[in-house]
Amino acid sequence: MTPISLYELNLQVRSVLEGTLSEPVWIQAELSSVSIRGPHCYVEFVQKAENGNTFIAKAKGQIWGNKWALIRPYFEQTTGQPLSPGMQVMVQVEVTFHEIYGYALNVIDINPTYTLGDIARRRQEILRQLEEEGVINLNKELELPVPVQRIAVISSEGAAGWGDFQNQLLNNEYGLAFTVKLFPAIMQGERVEQTIIAALNQIVAEQDCWDVVVIIRGGGATSDLTGFDTLALAENVAQFPLPVITGIGHERDDTVLDIISHTRVKTPTAAAEFLIHLGVDQLMRIDNLKAQITDGAQNLLHQERLRMERLMGRIPTLWELFKTNRQVKLDNLFMEIRNGVRTLLDRQQHRMELITTQLHAASPERIYRLGYSVVRKNGKAVRDASTLQDDDLVEITLEQGIVNAKIQK
Amino acid sequence: METNGQTYNEAIKQLEDISRKISTGELDVDALADYLKQAKELVEFCKQKLQSVETEVNTILGEQTPD
Repeated sequence: MTPISLYELNLQVRSVLEGTLSEPVWIQAELSSVSIRGPHCYVEFVQKAENGNTFIAKAKGQIWGNKWALIRPYFEQTTGQPLSPGMQVMVQVEVTFHEIYGYALNVIDINPTYTLGDIARRRQEILRQLEEEGVINLNKELELPVPVQRIAVISSEGAAGWGDFQNQLLNNEYGLAFTVKLFPAIMQGERVEQTIIAALNQIVAEQDCWDVVVIIRGGGATSDLTGFDTLALAENVAQFPLPVITGIGHERDDTVLDIISHTRVKTPTAAAEFLIHLGVDQLMRIDNLKAQITDGAQNLLHQERLRMERLMGRIPTLWELFKTNRQVKLDNLFMEIRNGVRTLLDRQQHRMELITTQLHAASPERIYRLGYSVVRKNGKAVRDASTLQDDDLVEITLEQGIVNAKIQK
Repeated sequence: METNGQTYNEAIKQLEDISRKISTGELDVDALADYLKQAKELVEFCKQKLQSVETEVNTILGEQTPD
């Protein structure tokens, strides 16, 4: 039995492989690492078991420069993200075996929609789970405090996004006061979830000092968002006690965090604008009230002035009226008095006449003239014959003269 | 001590109340002057709250907001 050299063995393996697997083949796998060196891109494919944490298959892969120059833009334009660890991908590979480097898959094509589908599927899955837990809208239902002034920001220290945000907010043209503090986190790669949750926990510890949380990630149109589409992070933000404003995704698609956060903005500057706008709303609210109050007051005064003028205007006429009816009253009074007096006099006059006629009627002369005479006994007129006895001396007055007489019954 | 949001809310509600009173004519001329004065103070208070540099957080954290 004569041994063969390793080199010969490897050659044989190579020829067997090239013989049986000569045609490129489409495979579906998960990317566990992606590293770009020069024009080439070196990856590692894995496949996890159903329970998701043990590997059942692994393979090294490379995308040579000429292919990578096509595959990279194609993938990024379609998915809006760079090829990143954790992604499920569908790639066409040539199986290669090199005496020194061993077994490797040479990637010659990719189907980005498969990855997109997978990303979307993962997001739907997380959203469905949040839905089930009944927490999906919790953050949305929080009410933004009035006014919003104390902003806890989660972003990466050096990122342009954070700088733009801070600048724009603190130098706003309305003089609105904001207090901003950065709770640094890593916004790219594997440690996104872990660091953002750590930052969120820090904020919760001083929850009363903050009005809102802003999670922003500046940076280019294509950036790895996989870190933001995780259940743990989503649950944390969904149940976070303060409203969370996110500016993570980009033009085309939202991460799970964007979907469940209280408010989603496109860019860090948009986040600043949103907050400034809230302040401007309040300023306008105050100015409107001020205007309403001053207008209302002026209106009220104007009404009063009008009322007064109307009154004033009427005073002369009122006065005239007053005078005339006073005058009229006086005249009437005068007439009444005069009439009263006249009637009084007339009445007196009348009474006098009456009396005189009565007197005249009752005067004795008239009686004597009519032929009557008055018999007086001891100066008193006698009207009852029975009061007279024989021999009484009486005096009889006649129209002309008086005679004495003695009574003979 | 109320958080600054809460006192701001109180002030702005009072402003709304005064505005309503004036517009519904509940206020007569005599009361008008006092209410106007109060409204003026409330406006200043609210604006000051929005634009004042020292907010409650600073005092706690002892930070100075970058001006």
